[in-house]
Amino acid sequence: MRRVVVTGLGAVSPHGIGVKAFWSGLAAGACAIRPLTVIESEGFRCRIAGEVPETVAGSARRTRADRFAIAATGEALEDAGLGVAERADAALVVGAVGGGMLEAEAWYWAATRGRRSVSLPAVRSVLPCAHADVLAARWGLRGPRHTVVTACSSGAVAVAEAAALIADGVVDVAVAGGVDAITRICFMGFNALKLLDPAPCRPFDRARRGMSIGEGAGFVVLEEAARARARGVRAYAELAGYGMTTDAYHITAPEPEGDGMVRAIRDALGQARETPPAVQYVNAHGTGTPQNDRVEARALERVFGEGAVLLSSTKSMIGHTMAAAGSLEAIATVLALTHGVVPPTANLETPDPEVRFDCVPRAPREALLDCAISNSFGFGGQNVTLLFRRR
Amino acid sequence: MTGRARVVITGVGVVNAGIVGDSAALGAFLAAPRPAPGIAEGEIARVAASALSALIDPGDARRLSRVCQLSIAAAQLAVRESRLEPARGLGLVVGTEFGDLASTHVFADGFLERGPSGLSPLLFPNTVMNTMAATTAIAVGARELALTLNAPTVAGELAVARAVAAVATGQASAVLAGGVDEIGPVVEQQLPALGFADRFGEGAAFVVLESRAAAEARGATILGEVAAAAWRALPARPWGVGRQRRSRAITAVLEEAGVEAAHLGAVYVSASGDAARDAWEHAVLSAALGPQAPPAAALARLLGRHAGLGVLRVAAAAWTARSGLLPAAAEPVTAVTRVSSRAGLVHGLARGGAHVALVVRAA
Repeated sequence: MRRVVVTGLGAVSPHGIGVKAFWSGLAAGACAIRPLTVIESEGFRCRIAGEVPETVAGSARRTRADRFAIAATGEALEDAGLGVAERADAALVVGAVGGGMLEAEAWYWAATRGRRSVSLPAVRSVLPCAHADVLAARWGLRGPRHTVVTACSSGAVAVAEAAALIADGVVDVAVAGGVDAITRICFMGFNALKLLDPAPCRPFDRARRGMSIGEGAGFVVLEEAARARARGVRAYAELAGYGMTTDAYHITAPEPEGDGMVRAIRDALGQARETPPAVQYVNAHGTGTPQNDRVEARALERVFGEGAVLLSSTKSMIGHTMAAAGSLEAIATVLALTHGVVPPTANLETPDPEVRFDCVPRAPREALLDCAISNSFGFGGQNVTLLFRRR
Repeated sequence: MTGRARVVITGVGVVNAGIVGDSAALGAFLAAPRPAPGIAEGEIARVAASALSALIDPGDARRLSRVCQLSIAAAQLAVRESRLEPARGLGLVVGTEFGDLASTHVFADGFLERGPSGLSPLLFPNTVMNTMAATTAIAVGARELALTLNAPTVAGELAVARAVAAVATGQASAVLAGGVDEIGPVVEQQLPALGFADRFGEGAAFVVLESRAAAEARGATILGEVAAAAWRALPARPWGVGRQRRSRAITAVLEEAGVEAAHLGAVYVSASGDAARDAWEHAVLSAALGPQAPPAAALARLLGRHAGLGVLRVAAAAWTARSGLLPAAAEPVTAVTRVSSRAGLVHGLARGGAHVALVVRAA
């Protein structure tokens, strides 16, 4: 199997536009979860979210999520130094959930109330796959293209899918990541499930009350290692392994013993030919819901042993960015390896005694890291683990 | 790409307006093809409620959305025919174009009619497009990778192609690959305004794919072999039809399968009544296959475009390779022609440029 390295990073997050803003926010332990403005929130228990704070440049005809994706992929391609000719054969794998739902909702809300304030063509972008078509046309990406929807793990699955295309020899270069804008459906749905904390989320805290939703886009450029070396391009890290499993247990709840999560982590370790002691840091899925955090901790304890890794949730700072979460967290993990800094779990005051790990509360931690994993789990028991090694 | 396993089909499940059953039901339909009720009049080719309820556990029928029921029903038929033990080692790839938009609209309507108190927590998970894969994984016990792939027109073919890669590279020992779509009332209402000119249908189709070695070892009946699968993209604007005719996907699959274009017996195409897109596909195929292009079959005019149809085309190509029969592409739609070769091409091309090709041959 061919080796895969990360040569480009691009991010749009609640910390702002660009990887620099994203990492500066994470490394400072800054929480970007604020009052919600993108959509109306009156009457709901939770009225905060991790919103992208700036206007992302781009045509007004594009959906908000498309503009995020264009900005993040553009940054990643530029970072990797990929020219037009090199992009032509590149694969594109996009993880998406909401697609252009924000704009489609505006149309549907208006249409239901007898108004038509949004043009119907905007509704064409409602499907998640619309992002991939927009990105392929914008950047001239003509290799294999697909859109994966695995709920909250979509962005991480997209990265794993792209790695598989390179490892299997289908392509040498791939652009992969996830994108989502905040939508009414998502916000209302998690409110209906009573899974949102009215205050910024507190993953792994004994008093945690749920998650905070967010939005953004995270994209990476992956390359076959020898080709990246030949191009003389910097490789941030090696994507040495991944695991994808399914609980086949419940549509929203994780399997209580974390069996599917354990298999995903072990598959990633096996593919990377690493043993558990090699892993020093875990960027957790860490949503802040009582059940998810407990089950994830249990799975990690089964694989690594109590307290054997540093554990943090960057969702505590930017919220759960849905399809973008897995790829933004992959970028955070790569940057933690690169900078030797573990981003903290913000808002963590009283660690849950059932989470028997150092969850890096509130302040970042310097640590020389060689190997780290990023976990992502989604509705339907869709588990993904990405394993990165420092280059 | 060395050391790839050969991938075979060992089970088929189909639930749509014209076919309900396994590979035998599919074969019976293809040998005597007829348009699904209403499709000639421009209506959506819908699955009869009685046909679906006969296949679904009453508990699931009460609990699950209709599109999830379609998915589970077809998946269970395929697994049953394959006689595969539902255990660890089974992966799942589901292609869909519209997902469960019908439930999304009902969920939104709850809020629009009654505010926050009108929101159903039970409906919310259905608004995420992986709901069919999640419920199907639970129903059949698929615990390896479970992917939902979203694409216009080619979602079913894409799901099979991705599943073939998973089996060929050993990512999973067996993968259930399927496609499913339902056209809800809001989507149906908006199709003409959105510029869709296709004939639409709904339903699901699944195939069980496994390595030839594993299938032979357990004595499974092999229905066909997917000798090669590839997906690429042709340049086009989003929602647009492109001009490029040179297909890297077709070149890749013919090369991988070791089949010359002249030796293909049949092509199953994704033509569905969208004149501009259909013409583009025809041009791409003509450029790739040359003047001696094999006869083509377009099943969308019988069953309507939906993601299940892409998977059904793969199963149909296996049937053609076995039987030497092909539903005709030209009028009358009920005609069947004889083909000479035991290898066929399944081809899909979407507006926006998503592009899939597979070579299917007799086992």
